[in-house]
Amino acid sequence: MAIENPNVRADMIEVSEYPELAQRYRVYGVPLTVVNQTVRFEGGAPEPYFIPALLEQLGLKRPAPEPAE
Amino acid sequence: MALLKDSDRAALRETFTEMTARVRLIFFTQALGCETCEIVGQILDEVTPLGEKIELVKYNNAIDRDQVAHYGIARIPAIAVVRLEATAPDDGALAVTEHDYGIRFYGVPSGYEFMSLIGAILDVSSGDSQLSAPSRTLLAQVTEPTHLQVFTTPT
Repeated sequence: MAIENPNVRADMIEVSEYPELAQRYRVYGVPLTVVNQTVRFEGGAPEPYFIPALLEQLGLKRPAPEPAE
Repeated sequence: MALLKDSDRAALRETFTEMTARVRLIFFTQALGCETCEIVGQILDEVTPLGEKIELVKYNNAIDRDQVAHYGIARIPAIAVVRLEATAPDDGALAVTEHDYGIRFYGVPSGYEFMSLIGAILDVSSGDSQLSAPSRTLLAQVTEPTHLQVFTTPT
């Protein structure tokens, strides 16, 4: 996603090395994705679910689905 | 003692032949007060020579503060994965610029995270996110700075 969009940056964090982050972001299970320090996605959602869910959380409306053939 | 097995080395060497653009791994480390910096350094020292198009740069987190600020490094050990692009300015001299996609790895990239690092090297080299067309369309709507932090543990 960071490659796709220059507005997106991505940190991959091995959280057991940073207990202060585990505490700050209340990391109880992994993977956990935190967006803009607030929005949380627990578990590893596949791309077709994760990206629409992320946009919704960012307050960006989804485009209308492609019309069926 | 080597961290990578011979078979892993051979497989990575083969994988890295697919790389198109050069990739620079920028490693931020520190001698004192960083338990895992040494092992990350060792991993990178073993991976880098397996790819003709991979280069490694090391900075000291305590000393190279300008670089820490430039790459927005929040903690150590850290690895920034950037693409090197050749540009030809008007004077004809070839220049290399870094294309920084904002991809950082914090902590030891072992287990599954090791494969994430290898994947990041390959994707940064190609400059192709590999996302589906619908995902690309959706992501194009992100116009504000967006920071993803993916937390993992060693597997």
